Amino acid sequence: MNDSFGHSAGRKVVSRASAKELGKVAHLLVDAQQRRIAAVVIGRGKKAQLVEWARLSGFGPDAVMVEDEGALRPPGDDRERSAADGKLELVGRRALSERGNELGTIDDVTFDADTGALVDLVIGKRSVPAGSLLGSGSYAVVLDKSQEP
Amino acid sequence: MSLLVTASQIRGLPVVTVRGGEDIAEVRDVIYDPEAGRLVGLTLNRRGFLAGRTHDVLPVEAIHAIGQHAVMVLDASSLVDPKDAPDDVAHPATERNVLGDDVLTEGGTSLGKVTDLVLLVGSSGEVVGYQIDKADGGQGYIPLPAQLSVSGVALVVPTITEEFVQGDLVGLGATVDEFRHRLGLT
Repeated sequence: MNDSFGHSAGRKVVSRASAKELGKVAHLLVDAQQRRIAAVVIGRGKKAQLVEWARLSGFGPDAVMVEDEGALRPPGDDRERSAADGKLELVGRRALSERGNELGTIDDVTFDADTGALVDLVIGKRSVPAGSLLGSGSYAVVLDKSQEP
Repeated sequence: MSLLVTASQIRGLPVVTVRGGEDIAEVRDVIYDPEAGRLVGLTLNRRGFLAGRTHDVLPVEAIHAIGQHAVMVLDASSLVDPKDAPDDVAHPATERNVLGDDVLTEGGTSLGKVTDLVLLVGSSGEVVGYQIDKADGGQGYIPLPAQLSVSGVALVVPTITEEFVQGDLVGLGATVDEFRHRLGLT
C-alpha cells in the first residue's frame, strides 16, 4: 500500500516487543541511488534516533512498528546527523534538473509502505516517477533531464 | 531554438552535485579561450559561512551541465587543484580576455566593444556569441563562428556578422544556426 512523507510525519513509533510508544516520525532518510527509504528518524534535535528500514516490523497507517527498543540508535555519521537535523528532508527541498534548471519544490513523496521503495515525487500538480531521482542533499533534489518541461 | 545565458548570469551560480544534491561551490568567473570560442573552465568561490575564494577550479570537461539556476557536476571530485588541471585552465593567459575588445569586421567596420560572453545553456560551455556596446550606441548581440582571430585589443569577425546583430538574447538564439549556416559551418 502506498503512503506518503506528508501523511506519515508525526506518526507514532511503537515497539512490537513492549507495545511502548518510542516517539514520533520526524524525518525519513532516503537513499537516492537505491530510490528507497533507508531509515526513519524519530524525535528531533539531540535526542533524535534512527531506525533502519530493515528493523521495522511494519510501516502501518496508524503506527510505525519497530522490532524492539534496541533497534533505535543515534546517528552514526555526518549524513545521518544531517538527516536527524532535518537538513536532508525531501519535502520542501528545491528540485533541480541535472541540466541545472529549477523545476519547483518537492511538496510530497509517495512510497510503498511494504518495501520502502519510493514511488512518486510530487512537485506542485505534477507527479514525477521516483526513477527520475538522481541524488538528494541539503541544497537540492536532482532529477534527470526527462523531467524538464 | 537554443536557450542562452551571458557569462555574468553564470557568476554566482551554485555548483551542485548530481549525486549528492549539495552546493559545493559557486562560480566566481569563467575561463574562456577566444580562439577556440569555448569555455575552458570556471574559477570558484566557497559557499556559506566559509565564503571566499578557493583555488580549486572546475575544468569544462568536468561540468555536467550549465543551467539557468545551477552549474551541475557529478560529485565533489570534479573540482580540482590548479596543479592537477589542464594548463589552459590553471594558467589562463590574461591577454585572452576579450572584454573591452573592439569587434572589427573583415571589411574594417567596427561593430562595437565586447561587454560579455553568451553561452548555450545545457551544453558544456560553447560560447555562441558576444554581448557588445554598439558603435552607434545601445546594447547588441553578435553570433560567433567557431573560430576567429583575436589580438587582445580587437577581434576580427566575418563581414556578414553585421547583418546578424541582434537586440536581445532571444533574437541571438534564433539567429545563431542561420549565421553558422551562412558561413558554411553547418
